[in-house]
Amino acid sequence: MNPEDLRYTREHEWVREDGGTVRVGVTDFAQEALGDIVFVTLPDVGAEVTAGQPCGEVESTKSVSDIYAPVSGTVVARNQTLDASPELVNSDPYGEGWMMEIRPDDPASVQGLLDAGSYEAGLESP
Amino acid sequence: MTDLRRSPLHEQHLSLGAKMADFGGWEMPIEYAGGGVMKEHAAVRDSVGIFDVSHLGKATVRGAGAGEFVNTAFSNDLDRIGPGQAQYTLCCDEGTGGVVDDLIAYVIGADDVFLVPNAANTAEVVRRLAAAAPSGVEVSDQHEAYGVLAVQGSASDAVLQSVGLPTGHEYMSFVEAQWRGAPVIVCRTGYTGERGYELLPPWDRTAELWQALLEEGEPQGLRPCGLGARDTLRTEMGYPLHGQDLSLEITPVQARCGWAVGWNKPRFWGREALIAEKEAGPKRLLWGLEALDRGIPRSHMTVTSDGRAVGEVTSGTFSPTLRKGIALALLDRDVAQGVEVDVDVRGRTSRFRVVKPPFVRPSTKAS
Repeated sequence: MNPEDLRYTREHEWVREDGGTVRVGVTDFAQEALGDIVFVTLPDVGAEVTAGQPCGEVESTKSVSDIYAPVSGTVVARNQTLDASPELVNSDPYGEGWMMEIRPDDPASVQGLLDAGSYEAGLESP
Repeated sequence: MTDLRRSPLHEQHLSLGAKMADFGGWEMPIEYAGGGVMKEHAAVRDSVGIFDVSHLGKATVRGAGAGEFVNTAFSNDLDRIGPGQAQYTLCCDEGTGGVVDDLIAYVIGADDVFLVPNAANTAEVVRRLAAAAPSGVEVSDQHEAYGVLAVQGSASDAVLQSVGLPTGHEYMSFVEAQWRGAPVIVCRTGYTGERGYELLPPWDRTAELWQALLEEGEPQGLRPCGLGARDTLRTEMGYPLHGQDLSLEITPVQARCGWAVGWNKPRFWGREALIAEKEAGPKRLLWGLEALDRGIPRSHMTVTSDGRAVGEVTSGTFSPTLRKGIALALLDRDVAQGVEVDVDVRGRTSRFRVVKPPFVRPSTKAS
């Protein structure tokens, strides 16, 4: 169910490499667990984020969850569409529901993230 | 997790892809696959939704003088209603006036009262009643004798008619109907703020009725709704939830439930404490909070005014209708309607206006 060409974190973010930057979102498992998402709070463009540290929030009708930076680097884009249409995270988590783009300090850091198989194995045996 | 009790519709919920959670010791649906809180909430506000609330308690008080006895125990004045009518009432603690439970009392007759308490409080309400009952009055826990289905929304009449159940009786009244040979109590009650009905079929016929309603109600857009939407719907109405906005620590005077207290009655549990509190003026009152920014308040968050703590959020959520955060909060008595206060939302300050609920206009009594 999780695209094979993406990398993942234990905190349920996905990462797609695209040249010198990476696009980041939350997984289908995460959006399903959260329920209807009503607000997404993202870091500003230019913000420095640190791998494993919270850098935003996804809030649903019933709960709130931190978004963790999957890699350290600089935020170069944020999905502004989510300000008005946060439900895109539910309907299309790997596409239009993307959250931000980061230029990693160390391009190789993406290789240290999980592949789809390891991510899914972690879901089955928490 | 301890062993959770299950509704007679457990298999139906699983087959509809429901997310299940613990509600007062019962494993119940929060939301359904293909639905979700927002869609399910909108179905009830716009057309019609159906909820399984079979976890709610059921108890009977029967015998000579049963109605009179209930009226000396619970807060509301049962003499205001007659057979075929129901009433919202409170079971308060005799010593403190704190709320043991809020419940609905159905008057079948002078010697027969049917009660629907909250799931988690049923055993305690039954225990207190049984201990106080005079000889000849029997209190009986009937938790698994009936299921409870709530059909709520403007199209609820059409849905009930499609399976041959009676409709159109007055708000807070009920009719005992026959459905495929089974007795079903049809009450014009609910917890959503919309016109609607609550149905009490026998426990083992509940699945059959649920299935028939879902099938026949399809043309009306009837959607199964979980307890997640039930919570956002009731919060928009400012209806208190026991355990959050009402509790042994929160009296009806503080929670503005004085309308459900028969102040002129000579006796009911907690009377002395509540009259004393009413005369002295409560130290805190239940208010509504409406977000002025993107903050979503949650239970137990602290409310401040100019940096000074003035209260606590008791229930908070995102209002699907208003598309902003709303809350019920117990605030010090010097906080006035219309002023702005702050809520500490996980370390960030969010701004709210103090308002009097409901947040959305109810249409429970609409014809």
